[in-house]
Amino acid sequence: MIRRKRTQAAPPDGPEETFEPYEEFRRIPLPVYWIAIALAIWGAVTLWDNAQAVGVGRQERAEQIEETPAAALNSGAQIFEARCSTCHQPNAVGVRSAIPPLAGSRFVAADPAVVVQILLHGIDGPIDVGGRTFDAHMPSFASVLSDAELARVATHVRQTWGGDRQEITAAFVRVQRARFAGRGAWRGGEELARVVDPALGPQPSAGPAVISAFADPAVLRLVNQGRGEAWACSSCHGAAGQGGANIPRLAGLPEGYIVKQLQDYVTGRRRNESMQTVAGALTDAERRGLARYYSGLRAPSTAKPELGGDVSRGEQLALYGDWSRNLPACFSCHGPSGFGVAPGFPSLAAQHPAYTASQLAAWVGGGRNNSDVQLMNEVARNLSDADRRAVADYLATLPPVPAVTQERR
Amino acid sequence: MNRVIPLGILALAILAFATLMLVILPGIQIRTEAPTPGLRPYSEAELRGRAVYVSEGCVYCHSQQPRSLDQAPDGERGWGRASVASDYFYDQPHQLGTMRTGPDLQNVGARLPSEAWHMTHLYQPRALYDWSVMPAYPYLFEVKDKAAPGDVVVALPERYAPEGKVVVAKPRARDLVAYLRSLDRTFPAPPTAVRDDGYSEQGEPR
Repeated sequence: MIRRKRTQAAPPDGPEETFEPYEEFRRIPLPVYWIAIALAIWGAVTLWDNAQAVGVGRQERAEQIEETPAAALNSGAQIFEARCSTCHQPNAVGVRSAIPPLAGSRFVAADPAVVVQILLHGIDGPIDVGGRTFDAHMPSFASVLSDAELARVATHVRQTWGGDRQEITAAFVRVQRARFAGRGAWRGGEELARVVDPALGPQPSAGPAVISAFADPAVLRLVNQGRGEAWACSSCHGAAGQGGANIPRLAGLPEGYIVKQLQDYVTGRRRNESMQTVAGALTDAERRGLARYYSGLRAPSTAKPELGGDVSRGEQLALYGDWSRNLPACFSCHGPSGFGVAPGFPSLAAQHPAYTASQLAAWVGGGRNNSDVQLMNEVARNLSDADRRAVADYLATLPPVPAVTQERR
Repeated sequence: MNRVIPLGILALAILAFATLMLVILPGIQIRTEAPTPGLRPYSEAELRGRAVYVSEGCVYCHSQQPRSLDQAPDGERGWGRASVASDYFYDQPHQLGTMRTGPDLQNVGARLPSEAWHMTHLYQPRALYDWSVMPAYPYLFEVKDKAAPGDVVVALPERYAPEGKVVVAKPRARDLVAYLRSLDRTFPAPPTAVRDDGYSEQGEPR
């Protein structure tokens, strides 16, 4: 505050010549100190908190680095339990008239190339095991297990049930992988015996080859070139229907399911503006044709866990559910290993995690409302955020849907 | 103002401190970062498209920096993993952006790989999303009587298509779409890459 210093003998008129403005000393108001101290504490706490967070993030990644080789070091028995035992049973006796046994099977005891080739490409066709004929639909593990993992599980199977002590190496698997690269599933025991190991003996024949029998040119044109605002399907869903990011994998989805989704996009029961535009531009016959095309398509998995979910929790949910949260097992409706149950239940295996998670969110948020009896709405509501990511990441580790004979034509 | 010099020195010191903490140190930290394995340089067309992206001001509504799951459900939205510094190796200047009026575009090439889709959407976003607030970019396209060979014709629903004519993409639109389709950093980030860890929490995210 500026005050005037009054000189004692101020002349009554005329300017004060001795005037000197000055400022009195005043303390900084106390609240300013408080605010400054509070800001300093806040700053310090923020720095400390940030340092903690950075430490946590670094540690998590350091653990990741250590974990990755550990996961890769899963023993053959562990891989068998996680990947094979759901169908072949933990003691490898199979399921009568559905899943062939491994114990005592000629395929397991034969040349090591047989087991490796079956793991790499899967089987789609009749095989004869122990005098019984099975209509086999074995998935291909080529895209979800590494050479080393395949070598370990093959060694485990052959040592435990084939009676052969010989170890299969990753290098052997690599050679076998290159041997028939790009081929589809083995078409039954007859082809395996003919191409891989004649010692398998007489095997039932799968009948005439039907691979790529699908050639409706109008449908292929829609897939590859599109028509007007029905942009080419493959421009987003990929040349093999493999999808990516939050674009779903279409290869191997049930035909009826695809047709229903396309209809639901048009009616708005399932909301997605781009797909509404596309589906609205298609005729009924075209929708059916495209559904048939994609349901018959087989493509290696391009999905991998990417949401940081807890994969073992996801496996738990998929296989057994969690009744404490009213969650049924995914596979109880979507089929063993998430291969889908036509026509209503889509396959989940090898689906992209961002897509699976976003659909689960859409069931809750109302973006998707086309489930019969509101089944999925209820399930999705009971899934926590972390569970959603866990199950989406787990499903991405599964091998893609194997070939299905009923779709042959 | 009888203490000009101390005040001036203090002000400069504060400025210098901020510059050191916000510019120089982070600069030193990321200077030695190599491109993320899997990242490729832009092609010529993509670089031209990048210039269009900059000049059209896309950055004012679209960020290019997906957040970690500790901060936002960007991964579940399909926007991709949290970005790391080395993802921007070939971006000068980067287009990080701060506003999310529209979705993040760091991985739009993985999420929306269709060229034809982008053409329709750039010409008239309302043709696909009737609620979209994104501006239309008709001046990146031209309306012709007939498409010449080699033209990229824009697929449009009937009510947005000019009567009896075709909409064709100009080179600028084609470059822009080439750039957008190149935005794909879905490859994994090395665990040692420099990144924002400021929100990591102990245990499961959230």
